[in-house]
Amino acid sequence: MTKRVKLTFPQHLIKEPVIFKMAKKYDIMPNIRRAKVTETVGEMVLELEGADENLEKGIQSLRDKGIDVELIEGDIVE
Amino acid sequence: MGYVKGLKCRECGRIYPVAPVYVCEFCFGSLDVIYDYKSIKRVLTKKEIEKREKNLWRYRELLPIDGDPQAGLNSGFTPLTKVDKLAKELGVKALYIKDDSTIHPSLSFKDRVVAVALTKAREFGFDTAACASTGNLAHSVSAQGARAGFKRFIFIPASLEPTKIVASLVYEPNLIAVDGNYDDVNRLCSEIGSKYKWAFVNINIRPFYSEGSKTHGFEIVEQLDWKTPDNIVVPCASGSLLAKIWKGLNEFVEIGFIKELKTKVFAAQATACPPISTAIKQGVDIIKPVKPDPNTISKSLAIGNPAEGYDALKAVKESGGYGEDVSDEEIIYAIKLLARTEGIFTETAGGVTLAVTKKLIENGKIGRDEVTVVCITGNGLKTQEALYNKTVSPHYIKPNLSSFEEAIKKIST
Repeated sequence: MTKRVKLTFPQHLIKEPVIFKMAKKYDIMPNIRRAKVTETVGEMVLELEGADENLEKGIQSLRDKGIDVELIEGDIVE
Repeated sequence: MGYVKGLKCRECGRIYPVAPVYVCEFCFGSLDVIYDYKSIKRVLTKKEIEKREKNLWRYRELLPIDGDPQAGLNSGFTPLTKVDKLAKELGVKALYIKDDSTIHPSLSFKDRVVAVALTKAREFGFDTAACASTGNLAHSVSAQGARAGFKRFIFIPASLEPTKIVASLVYEPNLIAVDGNYDDVNRLCSEIGSKYKWAFVNINIRPFYSEGSKTHGFEIVEQLDWKTPDNIVVPCASGSLLAKIWKGLNEFVEIGFIKELKTKVFAAQATACPPISTAIKQGVDIIKPVKPDPNTISKSLAIGNPAEGYDALKAVKESGGYGEDVSDEEIIYAIKLLARTEGIFTETAGGVTLAVTKKLIENGKIGRDEVTVVCITGNGLKTQEALYNKTVSPHYIKPNLSSFEEAIKKIST
């Protein structure tokens, strides 16, 4: 399955290859659509493709590192 | 006949035909409605608008519909009230309240966006309207959807207080209480929105839905006799209202209703959830999502990952405005201040906006001799619990004259 997500990186993770590591470890194919980096924060919008369980684990691993993983459509509960 | 040219990706600029879609298939950027302003300029005049019914559809050429409105025929054209007593309290010359606490049928500005969303949903051929909400949006979809004849699905977190849902349940929608936290409900509704062929007003109908917010700004200008104020202070949850007010003001320039736009727009948030005002203060152009404080009284603004946060940020920057956030205590003080000076009872979001206005005046971001409009987006009867034990107390007496006279001695008249 595929998931469309928006990642927000804290400053100390901007230079780390976190997406590559996650993709390799959990056999996920990332397809980056948009990215923006400033001095203090980074944002990346991408599609992740992989087995359901791997996607869950891969996304959780990003969260564990301190990356915000959110829906691309924003919060839906208004 | 409508004047919509299509949908345009805000990020990469790619154009899409009108359809119930909301993100660019290439860059996943959000889509915005674009219009044929040249044609609108030829047909629409201030005089023509002034002749029309006093509802939000008086600006219909600038709204994304093709046929006749299907909802909201009594929504909009809410009062713009000059509030001199409040202005005196805050030490400014000219202050106005744009008062959507009075809006029909559900007493919040969501009636504007839902009226447009349901009309567009009917044009697209949907028979079911849906939303996920903790309050105002649910009330409006439930109410307007009933009158317009839609099947309705309203999703809420199961933990929501019963008092918040009665105002939806009375219209007998299908209310789905999800056993999970806000993140779970967000995720589930995103999945449901992509699987079911429903008009999910703030997912697949979002580009059209959010256009309804422009009418709040159009009315401000018309009610100021087609003049623009120096400042407009807008509460931010998804950021959509602020971004669309700004878009609407620019459209008035585009079609020649305004010669020059000097209005500054200001973003008002609660300290419990300030992703937009934080980005403005830090001067960055990335909105960092936040986890809202679940105990805040300002629940309707507690959106940690705002869908149109970037657009709100851009609008504030372009206009030369600013953003501020305020604590629950400041919000309560502002709600009471508005009530005791001007007789207007606003919900907590309105308290946020007024408290932020006060702060912006005090820190000099809003000039004391300028004309400022404060956007009040909902009615205080909806969030009364925020004021329990925070108001003045009743005077309890026995049912006889002497008890009353005893009490009145203690009341300074």
